Amino acid sequence: MDLVAAVEFLVVFIPVLYAGLVILYGLSFFRSIPLADRWKSPLLHVSVLFHIGYILLRTAAFDHPPVTTVFEIMTLLAASISVGYTYIELRTKASNTGFFILLLALVFQTVSSLFIKDLTEIAPILRSRLLGFHVSTALLGYTAISLSAVYGFLYLMLYHEIKSSRFGLIYTRLPNLEMLEKMSHKAELFGFWMLTIAIAVGLIWLPRAFENFSYWDPKLIGTLFIWVLYAVGLTAKRKLGWQGRKTMIISLVGFGFVFLSMTVINMYLSGFHTFY
Amino acid sequence: MNIHSIGISHHTAALDVREKMWLSVDETREALRQLKQRYFTECMLVSTCNRTELYGLTLDVQIDDEEVKRFLIELKNAGGVVQPEHFTASFAGGAVNHLFKVASGIDSMVIGDIQILNQVKEAFQLSREIEVMGPVMNRLMQTTLHVGKRTRTETTICEGAVSVSYAAVELANKIFEDLSRKSALLIGAGETGELTMKHLVSKGIGRVRVANRTRGKAEALVANLGVDGSVVEYEHMVDALRTVDIVITSVNSPSYIVQPDDVHKVMKQRSNNPLFIIDIGVPRNVNPAVKKIDNVFLYDMDSLSAIVDKNLDRRKAEIPKVTRIIREEMVEFFHWHNSLQVGPTIHDLRDALETIRQQEVEKNINRFNPEDRELVELVTKRIVNKILHQPVTNLKHGAENGSRGSETIFRIKALRELFGIGEPKKREHEN
Repeated sequence: MDLVAAVEFLVVFIPVLYAGLVILYGLSFFRSIPLADRWKSPLLHVSVLFHIGYILLRTAAFDHPPVTTVFEIMTLLAASISVGYTYIELRTKASNTGFFILLLALVFQTVSSLFIKDLTEIAPILRSRLLGFHVSTALLGYTAISLSAVYGFLYLMLYHEIKSSRFGLIYTRLPNLEMLEKMSHKAELFGFWMLTIAIAVGLIWLPRAFENFSYWDPKLIGTLFIWVLYAVGLTAKRKLGWQGRKTMIISLVGFGFVFLSMTVINMYLSGFHTFY
Repeated sequence: MNIHSIGISHHTAALDVREKMWLSVDETREALRQLKQRYFTECMLVSTCNRTELYGLTLDVQIDDEEVKRFLIELKNAGGVVQPEHFTASFAGGAVNHLFKVASGIDSMVIGDIQILNQVKEAFQLSREIEVMGPVMNRLMQTTLHVGKRTRTETTICEGAVSVSYAAVELANKIFEDLSRKSALLIGAGETGELTMKHLVSKGIGRVRVANRTRGKAEALVANLGVDGSVVEYEHMVDALRTVDIVITSVNSPSYIVQPDDVHKVMKQRSNNPLFIIDIGVPRNVNPAVKKIDNVFLYDMDSLSAIVDKNLDRRKAEIPKVTRIIREEMVEFFHWHNSLQVGPTIHDLRDALETIRQQEVEKNINRFNPEDRELVELVTKRIVNKILHQPVTNLKHGAENGSRGSETIFRIKALRELFGIGEPKKREHEN
């Protein structure tokens, strides 16, 4: 079987699957269409399997795990988000937040599919074990931060709806505020520590791996800035008793910077962190 | 299908009229016995504060609704107040449709009221107990309960609070994850406030506190609520906001008893933990500016009523779905009922032809040689069976597979008329 052809098919097919998922979850959330209610979770499971298959095939076809460019990382991130969500859905039996979370996975996957390149030649530097550790912790961290942001966003929507006495769909369908806040906070905490490890490992590994390494690299500054933002937010929650709206806004702003860091900094402000 | 429904409900009669017709369990029992004796082969009576309705099955279509109405009025000795005009009556499909509408809650005073299904169930059970039920009403009961169940699971007509006190509890559930870990404070002792507190208790609120100008009243209420509770001195109620999550104010006071400054201070002390304030007082007890404070959720009577109105609109929008369920279940029920009539009809037809055969054989048997007589018997039987085979198969097939009940009814009627075999006898109900 032609591996590359299979990968090229999946590059297009995976975003289509996600689009289908988002449509089904959307129809279920906004219109409560029984057919969508019935089929959304099975399609999610199938999509997750396809996505994992895609990543494995990619690894085999191009002889390296897809961790070497930002677009390869983005498809990993999308997969990681949908696996994380599948776990949450199976555990909490609540599928009403799926639309919002999978929408995010769709965005990441679409960007990845549009720009991803079939690289077979990669820098030998990227075959380090430390890099694997760095990438996987960063990935888990970003996944958790993304989930935290979605729950934070849902919290703010519900908060606003309850405060302004407009009881629409959001009010009827979403779980309660306390639960959304808890989910967002737990994910944020997990994400923060993963990010901390990723940064620490990166800082140990970088000076050894790159000759042109600089502490003023935009990616490094950006990531540290994000880390400080989350650190401040989490400390404020713990020490100053910040609750609800304010902490959720921090979670969202943090995610905004993560997104910027992954897209703008990686694409346009090229430093050592871009490898293609 | 000779099912009758005759009754009085909130659509046609005011409360003072309806309450005259209300039947206790004992009265219902007695009434059913008499109704069975006089008019019906199977019957049941539903009596609630909103309706008293009779459903009965007759063998003879010729039953005088007016007479039954008068019987019911006389039974309750309500001649002066209740008139036959207060009653409505329907028959056959109309009666079944009405029963299904009642059980699904779309005929209720508050649309989607789920209590009614239990009341209908109890009515059926009572009828069964005193043996005024038969196979048709039994089947009707099963289908009715099925309609009720489908309505609850397939539509949202029972969802959303439709009273102010429930709306408040529903909101609490949207703010807090687990009420058993939360505590509520009731300030004052208005009826709605107390009711809201009782709903919170029934939803498992962890702790309750009550503040009242008269301490004795507060103590009595805490005892009455029957959960972990304590009394708060009325003067210290603002301090108490530090430790509770839900506050219900229901005080008769010309000025606000809770001001934004109080709440600002309290929120700092409670590390900004969400505070849900339900202001049921008229005039309002809590300064509306409190609403602007972060993590404070303030609701007054107007905003709670708005929730109730919205929920009622939502329930109304579900009616078409319920109507569709009712239609489906009616088709199913009548299909069953038609098939019930096919059996006796085939039996009667066979009887009729067999009688003719026997008569003819008897009349002519002497014309045959004794050794051929057995053969004559055999051949004629075979002829009759062959003639019957096709129509019987078609009739059975039509009743089993055809969803068009009217077609089967028409065939049965035509068959009975053409062969002159009359209406089915009582046997049909024992099938």
